[in-house]
Amino acid sequence: MNKKGVTILELLISITLISIVILLLIKVIFSLDKINNDKTYASNDEISRTELIKNIESDFLKLKLEGLEIRKEENTTIKFYYENAYKELKIAKNKITYNNETKTLESSGATYDLCPSYEYISLDDNYYLIKINIPVLINNENTRVEDDINLTYIGLKKENNNYPLNYVCP
Amino acid sequence: MKKGFALLETLIVITFLIVSLLLLYGTFSNMLSNSKKNILYDNASNIYKAYYVKEYLNLGSLQDIETNDIREITCNEINISGCDTLLNELEIKKLYIANINLKEYDKEKYTSSLNNYLDTLSNNSNNKYRLILEFNNQDILAFASIEIGDIYE
Repeated sequence: MNKKGVTILELLISITLISIVILLLIKVIFSLDKINNDKTYASNDEISRTELIKNIESDFLKLKLEGLEIRKEENTTIKFYYENAYKELKIAKNKITYNNETKTLESSGATYDLCPSYEYISLDDNYYLIKINIPVLINNENTRVEDDINLTYIGLKKENNNYPLNYVCP
Repeated sequence: MKKGFALLETLIVITFLIVSLLLLYGTFSNMLSNSKKNILYDNASNIYKAYYVKEYLNLGSLQDIETNDIREITCNEINISGCDTLLNELEIKKLYIANINLKEYDKEKYTSSLNNYLDTLSNNSNNKYRLILEFNNQDILAFASIEIGDIYE
């Protein structure tokens, strides 16, 4: 008699424990699946960001940046003036286009800030430094600066150049 | 006899499930830490910053820096007036010159973040040194490096 009672109790304990573990497992699998999806989107965004930075910075160096102009209407446009040409970087809420190549943000809640920051800094008598930062917002907050698009350029003052000294977003 | 095994069997199953969970978690945490490395180590904009620092500070010609391991360099050693401004504007906290074939060095002299970054670098190159930049932005340390030596000149 006693032995039978223990078996039912054991069965109940077994079912309860297995249910708890299975529930935990399902919860973990769902959260891991979400992390995996987020990571895939973040990774795709990171690849796009790297390609974009490489394309723009290569042009800065090869075509020689001589000036720029920032214009904000519905979207924001940065016009880069090179020695013999110009190219536009168009920033919209969820996509960015440079030289007719568009990259779209995939991460959930991610948008570009349409107010980039820009600085012209004099390094010494001969050289200047240009810094442009296009923030990437997650749910309207700039949580991680590593996700931003950061562009840098050092040029010679004596060469032809036409830069605004600063930029205030309207 | 058989009836008494229910609890033991359950415990075995639970142990198996927990081990599987831990393995799964371990795999994912590895993936997450790799993705962190992708962002903090050698990201595109920091590599371009390293290139500009190397060019502006004329570090490509620093062949007389004899170091078998790694050493920090400061603006005082580099006689270029805009050095401090440049490092400050690019949020560069420290500059190091390291031997490409960095094998044994005094790890205790450097932070664990730098040591972890150095562990990821390849020593397969014809150049002799590399310039390493340590960025400090919102208390997050990021690193980037660029080789210096004859090939780039």
